[in-house]
Amino acid sequence: MTWLTWRQFRAQSVTAIVALAAFAILLGVTGPHLASLYAASRVAGCSATCTHSATNFLGTVTGTDTLVYTLGVAAVILAPALIGIFWGAPLIAREIETGTFRLAWTQTITRARWLVSKLAVLGLAAMAVTEGLSLMYSWWAAPITEAARLAPGANFPVGMGPFSLLAFDAHGIVPLGYAAFAFTLGVTTGTFVRRPLPAMAITLAVFAVVQVAMPLGIRPHLFSPVHSTISVAQRFSGQESVTGDTFTLTPDYIFGQPGAWLIASHAVNAAGQPVSIIPAACLGQRTGDPMACMASHGIEVAVTYQPTSRYWAFQWTETAIFLALALALAGLCFWRLSRLS
Amino acid sequence: MTAVVETHGLGKRYGRKWALSECTLSVPAGHVVGLVGPNGAGKSTLLNLAVGLLTPSTGSIEVLGQRPAAGPALAKVGFLAQDAPVYGGLSVADYLKLGTRLNPGWDEQLARSRIERLGLDLGQKAGTLSGGQRAQLALTLAAAKRPELLILDEPVASLDPLARREFLQDLMESVADQEMSVVLSSHLVADMERVCDYLIVLVGSMVRVAGPVDELLATHHVLTGPRRDPDALPAGQQVISASYADRQTTLLVRASTPVMDPAWTVSEVNLEDLVLAYMSQAVGGNGRHNRHLEVQK
Repeated sequence: MTWLTWRQFRAQSVTAIVALAAFAILLGVTGPHLASLYAASRVAGCSATCTHSATNFLGTVTGTDTLVYTLGVAAVILAPALIGIFWGAPLIAREIETGTFRLAWTQTITRARWLVSKLAVLGLAAMAVTEGLSLMYSWWAAPITEAARLAPGANFPVGMGPFSLLAFDAHGIVPLGYAAFAFTLGVTTGTFVRRPLPAMAITLAVFAVVQVAMPLGIRPHLFSPVHSTISVAQRFSGQESVTGDTFTLTPDYIFGQPGAWLIASHAVNAAGQPVSIIPAACLGQRTGDPMACMASHGIEVAVTYQPTSRYWAFQWTETAIFLALALALAGLCFWRLSRLS
Repeated sequence: MTAVVETHGLGKRYGRKWALSECTLSVPAGHVVGLVGPNGAGKSTLLNLAVGLLTPSTGSIEVLGQRPAAGPALAKVGFLAQDAPVYGGLSVADYLKLGTRLNPGWDEQLARSRIERLGLDLGQKAGTLSGGQRAQLALTLAAAKRPELLILDEPVASLDPLARREFLQDLMESVADQEMSVVLSSHLVADMERVCDYLIVLVGSMVRVAGPVDELLATHHVLTGPRRDPDALPAGQQVISASYADRQTTLLVRASTPVMDPAWTVSEVNLEDLVLAYMSQAVGGNGRHNRHLEVQK
């Protein structure tokens, strides 16, 4: 049965290998240039001037490198969706539409075994392809990832912190979970819809909703966040805006917590209550640092965040969630197939 | 004689519509059984139930003494689905490999010699085969599985007359070689007549008549005579259809004993007329008293 699964999968596997090879060539060709920039910036082995070196390095990453960085993120994130649409959705829907299931299910093999082979072989292939893209990309982007860790406030076209929306999805082990989920979502949708095209559309829609809902709605709550306050006097990096006598402070990052995921922040007074009015004493102060003045009046920024140390806990948890969803969908698929008549 | 397919009160419903209902029949082993009936009679549904592609809504069905689609039953039943669906991208050689990989009882030699005899090119993609070749390829796949029972759902419906003749001839040779029971459905009685030695007429999911072809022909007669009431026939003579001209009555009767009444001119019936009589009987709605026709073995 494994033979038939592969045989029917020939065109898709050739496409996947070509895509992987093209991606590898793109990264292989542009990687050395990025590495030479990184070496020239002396970020590696830095001691006191790390932030400075890293910021400088990120400043030199331009043009093609920025484009490849963005394309790479897009490739790793889109791969599961494409797999769900083009591998998953038509897998059984096309057999039903063309009637070939009548041929397949009347050989000396039960539908359950037929489905096991399809799901196992192609599901593992889906995971391997996506994780392959992710590993290649992580290797290529390693200098940028490292510099972003050292210079969290630095400007860069795409969010790069480990928890940033796109970077989290493209690195680590979560691509495995997304691939498994998207594939089984497509297959299962196909068994219910029974026609490839609508199944592909529904798979895309559902997966897109999940891809957006996960980082925005669910991921921040996987572990209860840390609450803390940061000083506004020194080492405050972020936007300060003042309108009349009101102000807002939006930090970029938390000093001492590089790469932490900042979920919420607001200014508080010495009593810990939210505050947005500039203390009268600090108003109209033409000399000196207004931030230092506010700090002396006990104003701080309360922050809610997930520390970097939880990065792998988040990765594992999210991967486990998606693998569990994939298993549940596979179970649903078996149930559906046994009743398909 | 054991039954290859046995059903009791078998029914299949799609939503509110019954595709097959209250179907009770027994198909004996060792025959080439023709399942005839008009379109929509439930032939396809019945055959798909027999190979386990469908599950019954009501009633029961046993194939070779087992529930269809259970592991052991799959190996013993070969199936050729309606319109012979094939994977268009697979070559003829791929099909042979598919057969080997998916069937423990696969007869490679039989498959190879059949492909050779049919003149199929091993490298050709199944999607580019003609309708007749596709049906032949599907039959090869089903036959080389070495089944005890071969089920064919409208195997020749989409073929041109020449391809149809070749296919049926080829089927008959396979049957002779392999000693398997065959059930094939069709709405073309002429084709059935050439290959079947047992006939089941299914109309509106009811079995109207079933039995060995020669026995059916021996027990049905066409009676022609002066106009008279068919109810006046003696017991043991059952009217299947009646037609009247001004002064003449033509009856198709089923009688277990020869018709001796000198008032009738008795002539033999051909299979096509016999089947048509049973089919039109259902349409006319006077088949009520025939509902529980005994099935001849």
